[in-house]
Amino acid sequence: MSSISTVDKSVAMPASLWRVISDTEPLVFAGQTRLATAIAQLRDRPTAGCVLSVYRQKVVGIATRQDLMVALAQNPDWASMQLSEVVSRPVITVTGSAVREIAPIVDLLERHQISYLPVVNECNQLLGVIDRPRLLRALQAEENNLPDPARRARLFSDITLKIRQSLQLKEILQTTVDEVQQLLEADRVLIYQVLPDSTGKVISEAVASPFPSILEMSFPEEVFPEEYQTLYAEGRVRAVADVRDPKANLSDCLVEFIEQWCIKSKLIVPIVHLGEPPTEAVGETVPVRQHLWGLLIAHQCSRLREWSAFELDLMQQLASQISLALSQGYLMEYLEERVKLRTAELTEANRFLQQEICDRQQVDNALRQSESQLRLMTNNLPVLIAYVDRQQRYQFNNQIYEDWLGFSPTEIHQRKMQQVMGEADYQRMRPYIEAALAGEQVSYESELTFKDGRDRSVSVTYIPHREAADDSKRAGRKRGADEVKGFFALTTDISDRKAIERMKDEFIAVVSHELRTPLTSIHTSLKLLATGLLGDLQAEGQEMLTVADENTDRLVRLVNNVLDLQRIESGEVTIDACDCDTRELIEQAAEMLQGMAQQHDIKITTQAEPLLIRADPDYMMQTLTNLLGNAIKFSAPGKKVHLSVESVAGSASKVSAKAPSAALFCVRDEGQGIPADKLHSIFERFQQVDSSDSRKKGGTGLGLTICRKIVEQHGGKVWAESQLGQGSQFYFTVPLSTVVSLPVVRAH
Amino acid sequence: MLPPRRILIVDDEESIQKVVRLSLKMEASWESMTASSGVEGIYQAEIGQPDAILLDVMMPDMDGVETFSALQSNPKTKAIPVILLTAKTQAAEKRLFQQMGVFGVITKPFKPLTLASTISQLLSWPS
Repeated sequence: MSSISTVDKSVAMPASLWRVISDTEPLVFAGQTRLATAIAQLRDRPTAGCVLSVYRQKVVGIATRQDLMVALAQNPDWASMQLSEVVSRPVITVTGSAVREIAPIVDLLERHQISYLPVVNECNQLLGVIDRPRLLRALQAEENNLPDPARRARLFSDITLKIRQSLQLKEILQTTVDEVQQLLEADRVLIYQVLPDSTGKVISEAVASPFPSILEMSFPEEVFPEEYQTLYAEGRVRAVADVRDPKANLSDCLVEFIEQWCIKSKLIVPIVHLGEPPTEAVGETVPVRQHLWGLLIAHQCSRLREWSAFELDLMQQLASQISLALSQGYLMEYLEERVKLRTAELTEANRFLQQEICDRQQVDNALRQSESQLRLMTNNLPVLIAYVDRQQRYQFNNQIYEDWLGFSPTEIHQRKMQQVMGEADYQRMRPYIEAALAGEQVSYESELTFKDGRDRSVSVTYIPHREAADDSKRAGRKRGADEVKGFFALTTDISDRKAIERMKDEFIAVVSHELRTPLTSIHTSLKLLATGLLGDLQAEGQEMLTVADENTDRLVRLVNNVLDLQRIESGEVTIDACDCDTRELIEQAAEMLQGMAQQHDIKITTQAEPLLIRADPDYMMQTLTNLLGNAIKFSAPGKKVHLSVESVAGSASKVSAKAPSAALFCVRDEGQGIPADKLHSIFERFQQVDSSDSRKKGGTGLGLTICRKIVEQHGGKVWAESQLGQGSQFYFTVPLSTVVSLPVVRAH
Repeated sequence: MLPPRRILIVDDEESIQKVVRLSLKMEASWESMTASSGVEGIYQAEIGQPDAILLDVMMPDMDGVETFSALQSNPKTKAIPVILLTAKTQAAEKRLFQQMGVFGVITKPFKPLTLASTISQLLSWPS
C-alpha cells in the first residue's frame, strides 16, 4: 500500500470539519495490487468505502466497496485479478483549496453521481477522500445535533467488529439485531428472510420486554407482496414514524396485522445479496442478479418514533455488512462443502488405497509364502529341477544343482546349457533338448559326474512348457496352436536302482548258467537212457523215464527263455542289424518248424512279399519260430497255419507314425482263438490264456514277452487279433531298409 | 557210420565230461580224452593230439576263450580244430566266437544222439 501525505493546511475548510467529512488515510494501492489484497484491506477497514489506485502518488483510479463485491461475485478467478482491472477511470478529483464548504461538494457529488471524491493538493498529490456517507452524516449531525460523526463512526465500527468476530451467519445476524436494538433503543429489531416462494420468516430477533417475540414466525406472501420486494431490491428504505399515519400509505389490513405485535413505528432497510455463490458450472458466466435476501427491521412499540438520518444510515450500513457477510458466508459454506466433499473423496481414496495396499501386501505375502514353499520343496527334493527357456538358458535351478554338481543356481542363472554342461555332454543331450523344444516330452538315461568325482546313472525327463501363442505369432499356425516357451528338466539319480538291477541281472545270469550245467548232464543222461542202448527198462520204468525226459526239456526251455529275457531287458543284447530278405526269413522259419508241424498234423503255408528289412536275422528267426510254434501248438490236427509278410505304409494301423514304411509279418492260425480281454495281456510275462497251457503245451509263458521285446528293440510293434473259435492272427512290424526292394516271387 | 575219431573234452564239470563221452561213444563209437581245466586241456592236446577239441567256455582260472588263444598260439596244438561247448547262447556271442577262429559253437544242453554228427558237420568231416 502506498503512503500519502495529508496536509490539512492545503484544505481551505476548517481542519475539524475536513476530518469529519473525509477519510484522511484512504486505502491506496498500486494498480497491479491483487484484488484479493485490496478486499482484505477493505475488510479490515470497515469505515473505508473505497480504494484508490495511484501511480507516482497520483490518483489514477477508484473502486467502491460495491465495485469490489461485484467484481468478486462476477469473476470466479477473482483471486488472480489485479486492482487495475476493477477501478473506474478517469477519477474526478478536487483540489484542497476548492474545498471550503459542504454544500458545493454535495452538489459536485450529485452532479457527477458519485459517492467518493478524492481531494488533491496543487501538485496533484492525494490529501484524502470525501465520501457521501460521511458528508451526509456531517449534515445530519448539524441538523440533529446528535452524536457527532466520529462517535457514530466508532459505534458503527464497534458493531461491525462484533459482527465480524464470527464466521457463522446465524451468529452474525443475531449479533447485528442485538447491537442495533441496544444502540437505537428500539423495542424490537429483527431480520426477516424472504424465501424463494415470496413467503418470509423471522430468523433473528432482539426484543425488549414486555413485547412479544415473533422469532421463527412465518408470514404469507400477502404480507410482503412481490412488488414491494422489487422496490426493496432496488434499495428502497422505509422509515415509518406512525403506522397509522395515512401518509405512511399502509393498507388497513396491514396496519391491523402489524398492530397485533404492538408496532407503532418501524424502520425497514433491505438486505440485498449480490449474486449466488459459485457453482460447479465452472467456466460459465453466471449473470449477477441483485436480489432481495431479506429485511433489517426496527420496531418501536412503546411509542411513536421519528427515525433520524443517522439511524437510517446505520441500518443501511449494517444491512450492507450483512450482505457482505452473506456473500462470505455462502462462500464459506460453499468452501466448507467443497472441503467436506473433497475430504470425503480423499477419505474414500485413502480407504481405497489402504485397501489396495492391504490387498497387495496380502498378495505379496501369499506370493512370498508360495515362493518360499516352492523353494523349500524344490531344494529338498533329491532331484535336479530346472527350467530352460527357448534360447537354452537356465532360468531356474534348485539347490540340488550345487549339492550334486557344484553349480550354484545364481551362478548358472541365465547361462546356456552348453556352457554349463560342457560341449561333450551337451552334444549327447542336444537331440533330447531339441525334441523338448519341438514340443515332445522326452526321457532318457545318462551318466553324470558329480562334484565329488563319482559317476552316477541318472534318468532325465524334459517336459515342454507350452503357452497359447499370441495373435501376432499365431499367424500362419494352426488355430489354437501352443507355443513352446521352454521346458522343465527333471533329473533323478537312479544309480542305486541301476545297481540293484545289475545285481539282479547278474544273479539271474549266474543262476541260469549254473542251472544249465546240471541240466545238461541230466538231460543228456535221460536222452541216452531213453535210447535203450544202456539196457532195457520195465514198462513203468520207461514211462517214468519219459516223464523225466519231457519235463527236463521243459525246464531247459524255461531256463533258456529266462536267460533270453533277462539279457534283452538288461540291454545286454546287441542287435546286429543288417538288410534281411523277408522271403528268406519266412521260408527258413517254415522249414525249421516243419518237423513240429508234421508231428501235430498241421500244414504250414506261406506268402512272402520280397522286402528288405533292417533287422538282426537271428532275432527275427527267434520271433517268427516262436509265433509259428505257438500257432502249431494251439491248432487242432488237420488245420493250417499261415505265415505271411507284406509292406505297409507308415501311417497304417498300429504302426509307429514315425516309421516311413514297414514290413508287416503275420502268423495266422485256425485255433481256438483268444478272448478279447486277454489280447493285450498275453504279451506280459507268464500271462497265458489258460494257466494250464504251460503244462499241456509245454510253454514257458515267456515266449511272447521275448517276441515283444525283440520287435520293440527293432523299432516295431507287435499285437494280436482274434475271433474266438475261428483263430488268431499275430502281427508284428519291422522298419524297411532304405535299400531298393527285391523282385517279386510268387507265393507258394 | 562215422569214421573213428578221438575227441578231447575240456570241461570243469565231471558230469558233463561223462555224458559227452558217452554220447560220442554211443552215437559214433568215438574215443574221448578228458581234461578238467584249460591248462590240463592244453597239455592233453599236446601229448594226445586229438582230432578235435570240445572246449567249455566258462571255466575257473583259465576260461575257454583264453584256452583257445593258448591252443592257437601253440605250434603243437594250433592245427587241432576247436568247437566251443557253451551255456551262453546269445547270437552275437556265437558270432564273436566264430570270428576268433573256432570251428563251431554247440549250446548246452545239446542233443546227445546227434552230437557226433553235429561235430562232423561243423568240421566238415566225411560221414
